[in-house]
This record gives sequence, structure tokens and C-alpha cells, in this order.
Amino acid sequence: MEINVLEKDRLRIRLHIKDIPLHILNSIRRAAIAEVPTMAVDSVVITSNTSVLYDEYLAHRLAMVPLTSEEALEKYNPPEVCREAGERGLFTEDCFVKLELEGVGEPGKITTLYSGDLKTSDPDVRPVYDRIPIAVLTGTVTHIPGRGEVVNRQEIRLEAYARLGRGKEHAKWSPVSVAAHKYIADIFIDQGKCVGEECRACVEACPKGVLAFEDGRVRVVEDKIFDCSLCRECELACPVNAIRVRWRDNEYILTIESTGVLSPKRILIEASKIIDKKLEVFLEELRRLGVVE
Amino acid sequence: MFPVRCFTCGAPIGHLWEEYIKRVRAGEDPGKVLDDLGVKRYCCRRMFLSHADIVYEILNFPKVS
Ligand SMILES: [Zn+2]
Repeated sequence: MEINVLEKDRLRIRLHIKDIPLHILNSIRRAAIAEVPTMAVDSVVITSNTSVLYDEYLAHRLAMVPLTSEEALEKYNPPEVCREAGERGLFTEDCFVKLELEGVGEPGKITTLYSGDLKTSDPDVRPVYDRIPIAVLTGTVTHIPGRGEVVNRQEIRLEAYARLGRGKEHAKWSPVSVAAHKYIADIFIDQGKCVGEECRACVEACPKGVLAFEDGRVRVVEDKIFDCSLCRECELACPVNAIRVRWRDNEYILTIESTGVLSPKRILIEASKIIDKKLEVFLEELRRLGVVE
Repeated sequence: MFPVRCFTCGAPIGHLWEEYIKRVRAGEDPGKVLDDLGVKRYCCRRMFLSHADIVYEILNFPKVS
């Protein structure tokens, strides 16, 4: 196997992988989406909410906030254990991180509560972004005859409990916003059939600019082959059927884009570990049944 | 309120809204601002372009429950 890193930064990684069967790569991709655990809010205890936003709306917004999970994977109990604890209302410290949110509005003013206002019980598990608006608050002044001015301040007071979970249970726990693999094209041009530079139909048809004329011959532009989406517009455009788009066997581009909860590197490592563990369990079962030694 | 994540791909976008709307209201081209903020996919871009922030109007009405 041969891997080239095409792109790598805080949120994205793009790998060119040779000699890998599709089903192996697809297992890694699917494990990244649905199996790698991350932290997300799963229960919210609302002590006070006199804002215009419903409790469910607040809980949903809180759940969508990405929380840093790099350290949490070692520190907290696995999703399956914590799910049960949560369902029984046991917000234990080995499973849950408490995030508190408080705010009061003022008449004539608009107060926004941000993800950065969440006070976490574990500094390792905190919102990835501090500027996500969670709720807005204000206040009203009502004139009541005989009582004068009554000031009403909208208020939110809540405790949110985050735990480890997996993307297959709810998408809020998925560490990736993109996990995709793509074929690499192999374009065959029959130079004997090609009419030559006066045609240019294939060059103009390609939406990705993969083809170009060089010294009077159609060629695939250097490195542009990775951009080919295998749309086969060039095949359709060619009047003499001189062009054929195929794909390279066992060669793919894997793209992972993280939501920020884990680094792309960590997502790949964890995904591979999970597949490894699943196969180990499978083998163990076969050994138990005596199918293999 | 502006969604925390893109409905389609799940990428976090909520933290970009305030900067986006500030710059667009100041007269910048929405497409350019989104390019600047690194919002590439059209699923995420339509979240910004099609959003109407009505929460500031709802804010002054009493809640019915
Ligand atoms: Zn999107």
C-alpha cells in the first residue's frame, strides 16, 4: 500500500491511497461517520426558562454544539455504558460532563447567550467554537394601573449533560462533516481517431479542465486527473468516439473533514482501531465455536 | 435563530453567522464573504443565503405554552 497526503490541516485531510480494496477503505469511512465516539450534550435540566424559545429548542441547539473530545475518549466511560446511565437519570462523573448556562435579559436590550458562556465541569470538554449563538433574551416593562411599572426579565438557567456517543445513535456524535472516497480516472485517448486541435470538443466539454491540447495532441493536464469526476462529458462530446474514461483499480482518494471535535488524524486512528476490535470479536467467536484454532 | 449546523452535511456554521450578517449588511457581496469564511459547499452556503433571522421580532411577544 502507498499513501500520499494531498492536503492536511486542522479540519481536513485528503489521502491518495494505492493498492487498497474498496471494502477496506469503505469500512474505515463508515466507521469514521458512525462509530468513532465523541462528546455531545444528551440531557438538559432546565431550572428556568422564561425566554421566547421553547425548552426543546434550547436542548436541540445545545446538542448541536461541537465539544472537544480528544482527551474525553480516554477519560470517560464508553457510549454503551453511559447511555444506560443517562436513561436512568444517573449523571455520574465517569460518564457525564456538566455544562451550565445562565443569562438574564434587560428591557430595551438584547442579550445573546453564546456557546462560550457555557461553564464546563471539565476544561478538556468545552465548545470547539465560542461564538455559536444559543439563545437571545430581552425584557419588558408593563404599566399596570395601581401598581406602576412591572419589569419582566427573560431568564434562562440550565444544566446540560454531555456524554460520549456514536454517530449511529445520533448524528450530533459524528466527528465528521465529510467522509468520502472517490475513484481516480484513467482516460484513454485514441490519438489515431482524434480529429486534432480544430475539434477541441472534449476540452471544452470538461467542467474540471482536465483535458488540454499540447503540441497538437489532446492530453490529460498534469495532476488534474485527481479532479476528474468521471462525468464522461468528454466521451459524449467527442464526435469520433476517440476518448474513453475508465478508473484505476484499487486506487482512491479519501477525504475526511472533521467538525472540530477530534483531529482528522485521530478520527482515522480511532476508526481503524474500531474495525480491528470488531474483527477480533468476530475471530474470538469463531474460536469459541471451534471453527478456527 | 440561525442553525448551529448545516442541515445537510452537519458542518458547524453557527459561529460564522454574526460575522457574515455584519459584513453583508455593510454592503459586501454574500458570496465573497462566504468564500472568506471558508464555507465551500453549496449545502452550507444556502443556509446563510436563505436565512431570515426572525427571532428578534418574536422576542417581544409573550410565549404561549
Ligand atoms: Zn453543508
